[in-house]
Amino acid sequence: MDLHSYPHGEHGRFEQIFNQFLLKSLHIILDSRVPMNRLPSRGGEIRKSDRWFNLVLGDRPAAMDSLSFWNRSLMEPMVIDIILVQESRYSLSEHDSHSTLATEMPAETVIERWVVQYEHQRSMAPQIGDAFYKKTYKKSIILLRSVYSMLRLLPAYKAFRKQQSFKQNCGFEINYKICSFGSPLLRSEEESMKNYSFIPIDAQQGRLSVSVMYRKDLSDFNLDSCVSHPIEIISDYVGSPLTDPMRAFPCTSSEKGHSISFQTRGRQSAPPSPFQRPHSWSSGLQRELSSQQSQPYSASPPLYRSPYEYSSSPTEAYIQRNQNQRFPANQKAPCDEILSPPFSSSPSPSPPTKSVIPFHNRRHPETAPMSIPHPMIARSPRYLSPNLSDPSRNSLPPLSPRNTKYDSSSHESPSGIRSIRRLDSARTGEMSNTPTNAGPKLSRDSKEDSGRFSSLLSSSSSPRVGLSRTSSRLSFQDDFGDCDCPFIVDDVDPPDNQTSSNLGARNCSEVSSLAPSTMKKSQDAAVGALVHMLKTAPPLRQESCYHNTHSSKTEFEGEVGAASEFFKPRKASDAFEELKVYRQMKDLLLSKSAARVVSKEKTEF
Amino acid sequence: MNCEICQLKELDVEHFEIHEVLRCKILHTILFHRALGLVRPKDIDLELFEITYVQCGDVELERKVDEKIDQFLDRVDKHPNKKNQICLSFYEVKNKQPTWFTNKVERLYWEQWYINLNVAPHQKGHSGKSTSSKIVVDPEAEERTVRRAALEASLRDVLFQIIRFVNEKKDHIPPIPNLEGVSFPYEITISSSSDSAFGMEMFKRMLQTGHPTMLS
Repeated sequence: MDLHSYPHGEHGRFEQIFNQFLLKSLHIILDSRVPMNRLPSRGGEIRKSDRWFNLVLGDRPAAMDSLSFWNRSLMEPMVIDIILVQESRYSLSEHDSHSTLATEMPAETVIERWVVQYEHQRSMAPQIGDAFYKKTYKKSIILLRSVYSMLRLLPAYKAFRKQQSFKQNCGFEINYKICSFGSPLLRSEEESMKNYSFIPIDAQQGRLSVSVMYRKDLSDFNLDSCVSHPIEIISDYVGSPLTDPMRAFPCTSSEKGHSISFQTRGRQSAPPSPFQRPHSWSSGLQRELSSQQSQPYSASPPLYRSPYEYSSSPTEAYIQRNQNQRFPANQKAPCDEILSPPFSSSPSPSPPTKSVIPFHNRRHPETAPMSIPHPMIARSPRYLSPNLSDPSRNSLPPLSPRNTKYDSSSHESPSGIRSIRRLDSARTGEMSNTPTNAGPKLSRDSKEDSGRFSSLLSSSSSPRVGLSRTSSRLSFQDDFGDCDCPFIVDDVDPPDNQTSSNLGARNCSEVSSLAPSTMKKSQDAAVGALVHMLKTAPPLRQESCYHNTHSSKTEFEGEVGAASEFFKPRKASDAFEELKVYRQMKDLLLSKSAARVVSKEKTEF
Repeated sequence: MNCEICQLKELDVEHFEIHEVLRCKILHTILFHRALGLVRPKDIDLELFEITYVQCGDVELERKVDEKIDQFLDRVDKHPNKKNQICLSFYEVKNKQPTWFTNKVERLYWEQWYINLNVAPHQKGHSGKSTSSKIVVDPEAEERTVRRAALEASLRDVLFQIIRFVNEKKDHIPPIPNLEGVSFPYEITISSSSDSAFGMEMFKRMLQTGHPTMLS
């Protein structure tokens, strides 16, 4: 029977009630018998599943997420065995040559067996009608309350509390097994157990019954020997998450036909579950979580006082919250609405009729390994080191040091210092504390990231800044230590100004004046400018002239137009013309010199 | 509608144990099963016994119960050496025309719980919550321990008795008037065996509810 598809009509409603009853009873039993480290439920929030039978129990155990096997017919009972596992030592025979040491074998004893089932009675006339199923639902509420109370009166509850208190040091464990049939018990076991059956509830064509077989006395198991042990060596120590990554441990769950057996906590011999791994660093967390669990937001664990040696005390905040959440009695709910709590003012509480929200969506309540948030995780990825930048940018060279300079100020050092401060604040995730005017500048800077080229000025100024940067920036700075690359251009310059974009000829003041314009250039424009620059780059044979002009740029300071002529692209025709000019000059000079010689000779004669 | 009456097993308690016993029995067993609205159960451990009972988390309810327990303690102090009784009754409110011997509003009791306590003489200067003192002789401490264990077992039996009663009797529960807190109107009355009002109270209820069904 699928939990999510119920046949319509009376039979469907009853099936839904019965399935929810199964889930609720299982939840109650597991909560009261099997210690599970769970994160405290979100305070005040009541899920729809909690509204079933008006009993808020909090997060369901993770084991209930594996109930997909429970596609069973209405006739199959649900048998829940509560198993006490103790290590019993026995020594092999002295004549055994293979082993002479005492070995520990776990002894499993069923201390409780709960059976929830629907007893079909064909002779019984089918009961139909809203009044009938509402009455059934009301009786189910009372029955579950009785089950809840009974679980706290039975002897196994004491064992549960001890294990919850002492965790590993109690000398025993409590496991559980859910199946559709009960494994036969030994006669001695049956004799030591007592049976109690709750009064069945008349259902549609049968009865809904709950019964329990429990051990009257658990003194044979010596459960009172729990002591708080001193330091225990953790053989499978994982380490703190800051140093070592978390290792995954295999689960110990196993399936046997229709049964599911869960081992809540492994001893030294068995690997523990991933959520109950003993760590020296997580022990405090687990203790803290267990102390948090004692808050009344969860159904159990309870308030701990003597003699169970719990020290937490309840708060009544949830009570107020619970009162605020109580719905007024005058609200009505449509009868056909599914999974809605009974808001009606009808005499009897009407059960929710919606399908169950799949509890696969519920997050696992176990205490997952805690991950310490890395302080380096910044909200803005643009402030990360190049290795952490946008993967789409991996194809481009690393970020330029000029990207750190996003202050429009012309002062180098203040802007550099501001860039450092903003970098640090971004890295610590304190973006909200940065000045408001940092916002647009940051956005501008994001646009800068696409441009992998920085101004020569920033590169020239960056050494001063880079020394005080973090390691990521320092490493980045190293890559751009030699910023004499001729292709380093101001990527925000419009394509028309690419001729003047050879920043090797610019001085500090010029680049600083261009800084605001560079900020505004878009990423695409920067790429376009780069392409254009590549296309219009002077040929290699002009490099000597480039460097010469670069060295002589100080002489032509202020004469930008004149300097630009040196970087005009030269063609062969120009060279020929110049040659011609030289020849003409040469001819002229020669003619002049010849004329001088002739005139001189004439004078001599 | 008949009134279901449950006479709980009598317990021999000492003065300092009254509060916990009554709180446990009244809150855990009875009211939790009668608060059928949305409840977030809260487990409470008794300090004197290894028993955990459940509260339904209603602050107003807890306050009322504590008030009644304090009244009971006052009555016990005033009337020592007497059997004292607390009665928890659930009723329906029926509007009726006023007559010369009834009020306008009639209470129709449909369930009554009688909690019987036999309170031992209160010894002044005795530290109730301490299991031992320097002056106490060992045999007395051992006797107290034995008595405490017997009381715990009896208390557990009473709780089982209540669960059985709650499960056996469900058809008499009337429609739920509201889903907040204890779903049904209730009252807690205190009486003692020698009190003349005790008999009158019982007689009055018998007139209102008819022939009660006794269940021991």
